[in-house]
Amino acid sequence: MFFGKKKKKKSLIGRIIRAFLGIYAGLFCVFFFDLDGKLLYYVVEPFMKNHFDNMERRDPHTVPYDLIDTEYMQKK
Amino acid sequence: MKKPDLKKLKEVNFKKAAKDFVYGKPHGERRLGDLYIPKTGLYKHREWRGIKDTMYYFNNIWLYNYGMIVRDLMVYGGGPKGAVQFLKGTWRYRWMGQTYLTVLHWFDRCLEGMRGETLAASAWHFRGIVSACLYQITGFFNRDANIGGDLALRAKTLGTDETVWGGIIYPYMDQGAMYLPTQMIPYFVTCHCNNHTVLNYIDAAQAYGLPGDPCPMCQAEAGIFIEDDVPDSYVAVVTTNEACDGSVGTSVIQDWMMNKPLFAMPQVMQFDDDTVLENCAKEIEMAWRFTEEQLGVEFHWDELVKHIKLQNQQNQFEREKWDVAANTHSYPINGVAQALYRIFYSQYGERPFWHDVDKKVRKIMEKCVNEDINTFPMTRHRVIAWSCAPLYYSAWCTWAYNCWGLNTIINMDSLMFDLDIRTDTYENCLLDIAKYHEWAPMRRMAVGGLQHIFELWENMEKFNCDMVMMYDQLQCKGMQGVVGLFEDEFRARNIHAIWMPHALPDKRTVPRSQIRQIINDYMFTVMGEEPLDPSLLDFDDSDSW
Repeated sequence: MFFGKKKKKKSLIGRIIRAFLGIYAGLFCVFFFDLDGKLLYYVVEPFMKNHFDNMERRDPHTVPYDLIDTEYMQKK
Repeated sequence: MKKPDLKKLKEVNFKKAAKDFVYGKPHGERRLGDLYIPKTGLYKHREWRGIKDTMYYFNNIWLYNYGMIVRDLMVYGGGPKGAVQFLKGTWRYRWMGQTYLTVLHWFDRCLEGMRGETLAASAWHFRGIVSACLYQITGFFNRDANIGGDLALRAKTLGTDETVWGGIIYPYMDQGAMYLPTQMIPYFVTCHCNNHTVLNYIDAAQAYGLPGDPCPMCQAEAGIFIEDDVPDSYVAVVTTNEACDGSVGTSVIQDWMMNKPLFAMPQVMQFDDDTVLENCAKEIEMAWRFTEEQLGVEFHWDELVKHIKLQNQQNQFEREKWDVAANTHSYPINGVAQALYRIFYSQYGERPFWHDVDKKVRKIMEKCVNEDINTFPMTRHRVIAWSCAPLYYSAWCTWAYNCWGLNTIINMDSLMFDLDIRTDTYENCLLDIAKYHEWAPMRRMAVGGLQHIFELWENMEKFNCDMVMMYDQLQCKGMQGVVGLFEDEFRARNIHAIWMPHALPDKRTVPRSQIRQIINDYMFTVMGEEPLDPSLLDFDDSDSW
């Protein structure tokens, strides 16, 4: 029974190490083959560009063309 | 299935291949240009720099900086609420959603070919810049009324032109006041990181009816307001005429569209004059009174002194760096890291993240000096870069070193703010702050009078440079006026100078490939030299970030 627990614990640690190594190797592939850059360039940026190109924006002319007289500016 | 060509396999020098794998190919055999995917600037694969430096880049730069970006967002943003605000801002503003996500490629472009201590020290500079950007980005979004930001924080925030020195807010920082330069993050830094977005703002300004020939920087700054792409994160504004009349023109549009109480704090044109300095000091005092009135804060002299002293420490370390750069071959910071880091912290003002970076860089630099490491071993010419640089191609220094062995030691923007501000009395402190304000970007040594523009010669000697990269901002009327004077001086002093035409943020006027061609032509025809890496002579990066 004692040995069974130890084995279980060992296999859990082994799995964590394997998972960590797998993630690390995967991230290295993303880095080395510039997959982050390719994703951003071919997918994310065109998607965001399309979103911003079609976004409704405030008409700048709706802002009143007035002077704001602050207390300070009146003193000046 | 194709049979492997055993003859070719026999020709491979396995010993050399193994050595290249472990240590990386030596400069001259790297063929960095072959790594690019045409037009995009993306890599077929990132550079193999040998085991040690590749793993350093992967762990300590790529992974570390992605992780630190998340950390900064949580810390500066104030936890999960800040993260939500960040997502909202990313969806709302083009300069964020389309631009800054590509930040690690900015590192790649600027750090190409770097090794060892040079790679590490230069990357730390970029870490500082990114941290400063995130500090401002979260500052914007947390306070932004457009996306449901905190109005109490907004009430303590002053918006400014990007060339108003950040020290103006020092006396109020212990009261929660914040300074946000309205164009620095939405426009200026974007051009370096991803120059696609700025073109929208330039086009917006011209479509609005502004003429296309003044400085495109001013056009882009106006464009972000015309495009309604500026966060509403501050209650009052301090502006300045920056360095030129183009800026004055577009300030009118910005003032209109900001629609907030505004104080115009001028940068004087002729500043080598004590009476002008006194006048400038009065203007700064008036800007402080305006800030107090608008933000409901009080002037704290001790707080001002505390930050000025810390800023002076940064400046003193900068001088130590220059000493190493000028007199040894052990300066571990490349040209683009030097230029961007220095102008950013000098302009934005003292903050804790700069000191963290300086500590790391000091350690690396001391190691280089103590061990007499030649940090740029393939240096053929020591270059000083003068005037205003192309924002869309600040990484040209990295390319020029890799391709031709042109090592950019120092640049004009780094040298402009060399002033320790006195803190012994209020009067002395104020006069020095006024002088610092007068020496604003693009002012002292670009359009600040002939004697300052010609400080080039003494700095060339001081930094032991034998070549000048002379920036020629085609739409800057101020610097256009002195081209002939420089030509005469270069000839009279027998100085090798390469004129680099550009249009500041707009890559369409002089593409990056044309800049490279100009340098290539000079190096082949005038210098009679051959490239260190011929694959970098001509490649297409027209659509790259």
